[in-house]
Amino acid sequence: MGFIKRNWKPWEADEWRKEDWIAIILSPLCYILLMVGTVLSILLNIWGFILLALGVFLTWLMHWVIDPKLKMISSEYEKKQHDYLEELERNARWEEING
Amino acid sequence: MVQFQFLDWFWVVLFLMVTVGLGVAFYRLGKRSESDFFLAGRGLPWWLPASSVYATHTATDTPIWVTGVVYKYGIAGLWYTFFAAWCAISAFVSTRIFRRSLAYTQAEWNTIRFHGLGAEMLRGWISGWQVFMNMFILGWVGIAMGKVCNYLFGWELWIGLVLFSSLCAIYVLAAGYWGVIMADFQQGIIAFLMIIIVSVWGIMAAGGPSMIAEKLTSMGQAWRMNPFAFTGWFEGDFPVAWFITMMIIAVIGGFGMGTSIDWYVEAQRIQSAKSVRDASYSIWWGTALVLTRNSVWAAAILAFYVISPNIPTQAEYELGWFKLGFEYLPVGLIGFFFAALIAIHVSTIASHLNLGAMYFTRDLYLHYFKPTASEKELVWVGRIATLILLLGSFFYGLMMEDITSWLIFALWLMAAGIWLPNILQVVWWRFNAWGYLSAWIANLGLSWLVVWILPHWGVIPPLPDYQQFWLLMLLGALIFIPVTLLTKHEPMEHLVKYYVQARPIGWWGPVKREAQKLGLLTHVELKNGGAK
Repeated sequence: MGFIKRNWKPWEADEWRKEDWIAIILSPLCYILLMVGTVLSILLNIWGFILLALGVFLTWLMHWVIDPKLKMISSEYEKKQHDYLEELERNARWEEING
Repeated sequence: MVQFQFLDWFWVVLFLMVTVGLGVAFYRLGKRSESDFFLAGRGLPWWLPASSVYATHTATDTPIWVTGVVYKYGIAGLWYTFFAAWCAISAFVSTRIFRRSLAYTQAEWNTIRFHGLGAEMLRGWISGWQVFMNMFILGWVGIAMGKVCNYLFGWELWIGLVLFSSLCAIYVLAAGYWGVIMADFQQGIIAFLMIIIVSVWGIMAAGGPSMIAEKLTSMGQAWRMNPFAFTGWFEGDFPVAWFITMMIIAVIGGFGMGTSIDWYVEAQRIQSAKSVRDASYSIWWGTALVLTRNSVWAAAILAFYVISPNIPTQAEYELGWFKLGFEYLPVGLIGFFFAALIAIHVSTIASHLNLGAMYFTRDLYLHYFKPTASEKELVWVGRIATLILLLGSFFYGLMMEDITSWLIFALWLMAAGIWLPNILQVVWWRFNAWGYLSAWIANLGLSWLVVWILPHWGVIPPLPDYQQFWLLMLLGALIFIPVTLLTKHEPMEHLVKYYVQARPIGWWGPVKREAQKLGLLTHVELKNGGAK
């Protein structure tokens, strides 16, 4: 599916792209469908099964779209994390401010 | 009162031994450093903090609250619980941004996003408020357990409050967040299993799903099975206008930080995840479980309605789900059910004990009192703070009957007028510490005016809560937007540093261009053929 980018370079993954927006739109929809679908399914309402199935599918789709990007963001960020943590400690202990 | 048999007590004692023992078993990991005591060393796979999100947000008072709204409004009442859906967008936006900041707490994040005196004032305020809030929530949840024990065994209220919170404190004091997260995992599983068992038992007691639908229809109550059964666009106590407001607060709130009171708890789970990806999934899946659990509860409450319709008093029907468990489960399972209630209870207590202690230790003690403190000392301060929170919660819990309405008002005013500033601080580079501080201060006064003083003097009519929200947001914006624009933005050097590390979403153009000019976003420069 060419519309969805599945291979990310580190600098591309750091940008906010359409894949993020697809996840942002799908995510609340998934919650609504899973919540309403579950309760109606327990009551054996046919719409419950349809909504729940749609919710499960959209949840899978959302992860399929966003997961490669999240993996790249994570692997790149963890390389820099150690330095950032040291800086965080210096700030908390006022070391940077006091020189 | 419920009569326990030997098998019932066996389950309860076994559970307490396992849960306290499991927590204490992580003593050696918890005492290694401040990072271990409060964030489990930032190394957890997503499913552990996810189970903690779920367990923490399954408190003793949660089934009481969910039962109350579903019994009253049918399954449309589930929308009251949909405020948790702020995690839908947050999981992929503010969670990612917050995880990259690496801040232990939201108070610390303020000094990363903002700068100078304003940032420090915000850090001091948010940390003090969070220590208080966690103590208050501990008292609130604790006294709910006191009430459950009073209903079950006829115990005095203080016994249930003090006994189970104290048992829980043993493993929080010993192992800190390691104890919290490991106990939450097994407590989450036990609680979820029991919620399913009790709910299925209740549904079968009402004759099964088909019979529930039939009976509701014959009672003229079929609307209770409609998730969109509102009372009109603006009329009644459950209008569409409320629903739309709730959806906006919950869903759009995910772009911000602190738009829900739960954010502060989730922030700790976010930072304890081993990567940005793990943080995102922990928040998303933990909340998905919370919402589907509410659905299971809702179906059981409909069953309870069919069995016991037309209960006039809220205090009575709110206990409906508990009654399904204690009145319909067989001997042996009742004890297991009570053990699950203890699991539900202590998972919330443990989280708030450790969270409040983290704000005290990291933001108040380390940052303002003793910046030279050693790791060992910080772990001990964390333990002392945990103990103080525990004792404070007993005090709050026992006086809760008198102060609940005041403190719920305090919670509400914390939420309404600063909802938009909580988003702006994430998405708008120009929003500064003074704008954010002015929003907090203005909201304090405006809430009193809009909710109590102006209606009391007849200046405005008493407004439903969703209308109060919009009015407070508008009035607040008339103050914090001018304050922001009339004061300087944060120093560009500080903003660039934050931008490069956290990569926030929204309107950050000038900061991004400055970062490009400084060569800090080199890949983007290459792609665009040079900085603009």
